[in-house]
Amino acid sequence: MLSNIIETAFHLIFTLDKDLIEIITLSLKVTLSALLISVFISIPFGSFLVLYRNKFQSFVILVSNTLMGMPPVVLGLIIYTLVSKRGIFGFLDILYTPSAMILAQTLLITPIVVSLTYEEIYKKHKDYYLFLNSLNLSNFSKLRTLIYECRYALITVTLTGFGRASAEVGAVMIVGGNINHFTRVMTTAIAFETSKGSIELAVALGLILIMISFIITLLIKSLRKIK
Amino acid sequence: MSILPIKIDNFSYAIGDSKILRNINIDSKEKKITIIAGNNGSGKTTLLKAMHGLIEDPSNSISWANNSIKTIKELQSMVFQNPILLNRTTFENILYVANKKKTNEKNYVNKIIEKLNIKDIANIDARYLSGGEKQKVAIAMSIIGNPKIIFLDEPTSQLDPVYKHEIESIISSLVENDTKIFMTSHDISQIKRIGEEIIFLDKGRVIFNGKVKEFLNEKTNKVIRNYISYG
Repeated sequence: MLSNIIETAFHLIFTLDKDLIEIITLSLKVTLSALLISVFISIPFGSFLVLYRNKFQSFVILVSNTLMGMPPVVLGLIIYTLVSKRGIFGFLDILYTPSAMILAQTLLITPIVVSLTYEEIYKKHKDYYLFLNSLNLSNFSKLRTLIYECRYALITVTLTGFGRASAEVGAVMIVGGNINHFTRVMTTAIAFETSKGSIELAVALGLILIMISFIITLLIKSLRKIK
Repeated sequence: MSILPIKIDNFSYAIGDSKILRNINIDSKEKKITIIAGNNGSGKTTLLKAMHGLIEDPSNSISWANNSIKTIKELQSMVFQNPILLNRTTFENILYVANKKKTNEKNYVNKIIEKLNIKDIANIDARYLSGGEKQKVAIAMSIIGNPKIIFLDEPTSQLDPVYKHEIESIISSLVENDTKIFMTSHDISQIKRIGEEIIFLDKGRVIFNGKVKEFLNEKTNKVIRNYISYG
């Protein structure tokens, strides 16, 4: 039976099954959009926190570190209450749309990317602050140098964010609703298809997720070597 | 812009309860090499950093021909005891500083590389350079933009005699081009060879500030006598 399931799963993958491709495409769209938004905000912000060190900065890092471990379902619930019809952002009308899913994933990975960026930039700043101060550079110039010097580490941070976002199920299930052909992504589809007994599609999606995870791990490993 | 005399008027620096520099008073007109010497933990590096503006001087105790450090900072550079280089090639490290100092001269980086005789390591990543090579690259980076003052923190302490000689030659050539050098050193023979003036620190206080020749003939101060005899 298991061999039949796996055979069918591979068949779905190699024949580029329409539903499978649709789910994978939407998953990648949502995750990459969230990642792009998050990285665009988090890398400059995490770096900024290193150079402007004060009590506010310590508080932000504390909050960010705390949010790193936030259960996705709780985050999903918070976003749900905010964007549902009765919520304060209800007027946006984004509940059960890919936009809400992007918002959930963005909020989920932003603390991770901020904290990891801060750690990497902080280490580099410790190595370089005398040199950068000796050159009398502006803070903007220092930030550019530090981000460039941490480029491989920051790509690793980005990949970590991608990995976290692509594997997430709780929050996108709550705010996306897992609507077929509209908000169904890999993780929610796996949960749904398994629950209704359609294991083949779930296994095919699982294999794709494992493959994505494998590629990310491989990339992180090779970047660590370059570092 | 004139840089001398450098005057330090009652400068003190502490980290928490630990006093690193205590009531430092210096008035120096020496144009060539001033050595900052003293036993370990006497505050040599801290004094160098303070003179370079890497340590806050809220009471403006340090002035260069009546100019504040902020005004003079553009004319200064520093080479640290453990050379700080970016994770780039030698060429890119030098290019980085040249860009930051806005040196527009054509082939400037190549000229610096030739001047310091580091052409053979120009394309090597700084992480893979030896201690002496790193020191030479750091000095190459420090002379970009023709600074009037260069601070060197024990630039030869970890080097073999050949590299030491090479670095000393570079330092001497800088002085010939009217660059004022402040350099920390533990090496009495080196102090004799290249030093003109010496500032000697003991437990964060200046206990001697004068010509190297006078310092070497100092008979009364026990700390200095021990330093010279064991050096």
